[in-house]
Amino acid sequence: MGLVLSAAFVVTAAKLYERNEGRLLKLRARELGLVLSAAVPPIQTPLASAAALANATGGDPQKFRALMGPGVGPGRQFASASLWVLGSRRVKPLMVLGEAPQLPAAEARKLFSSHARPRVLSVIGRLQSRSPGIGYEFSTPGAARGFAVYAESRLPRDRRSKLESNTAFSDLNYAVYLGRAADSRELLVTSLKRLPITGRKASQTIPFGDNALTLSVTPRASLSGTFFRDLPWIVGLLGTLVSCAAALLTYRLARGRRRAELLAGNLDRVAAENERMYTEQRGIAQTLQQALLPEVPPELEGLLVSARYVPAASGVEVGGDWYDVIATGDRKVLLVIGDVSGHGLRAATTMASLRHATLAYAAHDPSPAAVLGRLSDFVNAGLHDYFATVLCAMIDVENHRVTLASAGHLPPLVLDGEKGYFLDLAVNVPIGVRRDSPYQEASIVIPALATLVAFTDGLVERRGETVDTGLTRLSRAATRQNLTLQDLVAKLPNDLAFEDHHDDTAIVGVQWQN
Amino acid sequence: MAELENTIPDLKIQTCTDPDGTMVLDVDGELDSANVEQLREQVTPVIADPPPCLVFDLAGLRFMDSAGIAVLVQVAAEVNDVRVRDPSPIITRLIDVTGLSGVLKIEK
Repeated sequence: MGLVLSAAFVVTAAKLYERNEGRLLKLRARELGLVLSAAVPPIQTPLASAAALANATGGDPQKFRALMGPGVGPGRQFASASLWVLGSRRVKPLMVLGEAPQLPAAEARKLFSSHARPRVLSVIGRLQSRSPGIGYEFSTPGAARGFAVYAESRLPRDRRSKLESNTAFSDLNYAVYLGRAADSRELLVTSLKRLPITGRKASQTIPFGDNALTLSVTPRASLSGTFFRDLPWIVGLLGTLVSCAAALLTYRLARGRRRAELLAGNLDRVAAENERMYTEQRGIAQTLQQALLPEVPPELEGLLVSARYVPAASGVEVGGDWYDVIATGDRKVLLVIGDVSGHGLRAATTMASLRHATLAYAAHDPSPAAVLGRLSDFVNAGLHDYFATVLCAMIDVENHRVTLASAGHLPPLVLDGEKGYFLDLAVNVPIGVRRDSPYQEASIVIPALATLVAFTDGLVERRGETVDTGLTRLSRAATRQNLTLQDLVAKLPNDLAFEDHHDDTAIVGVQWQN
Repeated sequence: MAELENTIPDLKIQTCTDPDGTMVLDVDGELDSANVEQLREQVTPVIADPPPCLVFDLAGLRFMDSAGIAVLVQVAAEVNDVRVRDPSPIITRLIDVTGLSGVLKIEK
């Protein structure tokens, strides 16, 4: 009887393993699909921002170069970017950055002369060409006149790319195709030597502008770890042992205890497995967020710079916090920090588009109040169910002066030796609340060798206390330390973290060297 | 599978309309991103057919984060006169530091 039961256990466990593996693979495909779909806004928003900027400046080629230039070139996001006049009879680009676009005249005419334009990114495969790639086109919707932006990215010639072994997806092989089917002629990139994928696989289709991406994944090894793969044999072996022991000794108690021990052991393994999955999910969130945020150089125009993003301690989701620190010439540095309300992929993708829009408006007119005003018009022009707090600061490094405007954002902290204080500035409404909101600027002198720390509310807010209590705690924690800027920015979020922290945190510090 | 502990704080919402057409939403408990959809569900029909004045009675609300504020702000975009009645000092200060005191009028 015991042996029959053991055999039944073996079959059940093997079946469970199969089902579990299939389900896990589907889940992993969905996660990877989410990461892929998050790649769309970083492509669309620079193009949309450049088109908006061109419309605002009458197609100023210098402004186009200032905005798009940093993203174009070998090893950068785009191999080529060009600006086109819409509805013109001469279909020729106004300006080309990087390589010449591989766009046949007939296709260009189709793209840039048509009048009815959908509000999506056009995605064009150039997969059979000599240097294969994808083309993207964007123009402001409804504009019959005006400008369109076209950009191309290149693909690896053999289409092979490996997921780095330390990413959360290193246990998967994958293939990504342009379009709604796994068509080998439309292959964009794969980690496999040989296609099509055979054996256990899962697929996912992700909208990509006016086109789509199809993702196929297959496991490299057992997804749930070797424990679950070996479970049928473990159960079988232990089941046999238990049966023999029962037959020989007929001590029900002993048998019961052994089963309880086995069960307890399994529970520990399941708990460990849960822990691993949780850590992995957090890894995905962090990877995604880092991909959406810029690398900040350690020094800009003689100003030391450091920035950090910390995901919520209790969550596995991405968030809506962002920052940017860029040099704008004349020894001036623009600092932007913002926080989109809500969490998850929607907040993160909204953040990505606000981030690029802010940079586009700053390239047009870098006055902080003007940037916030335009950003507010941009968000209020469309349907939206979020708001964003944004602090925009223009730093005149040489004259130790900061001009800043705040859309509902907390004021930055100034550290001057032993002293710490928050800048006193008018707080105007957040972005996305009201049309025609006015934004005011304050211009404040910063002492020599001082540090300016801008942050999002995740650094100071805690349940059950006013925000002032949190601000005081931050000021104390920051002035007590005698640290380099890098260390301070790295340490503050840790020092102020607490268990069950639901909010993500962004922090940016700049320090004068004279 | 990871079964993450998800504690949803308690939230009670009651709606009534005064004779002058003012709508009062009484929000009690704690409001954050975990349960904010409950409030959003209640205000969606209100936005579709906006009353002249809408009051959020927050006397019984112990906590609210930016997700809750986002719903109030969304209502304020559609309803001319949005008031917040008896918010706790913590919530009053939150409305203040986010520059929203002109949009969400506080009445004590």
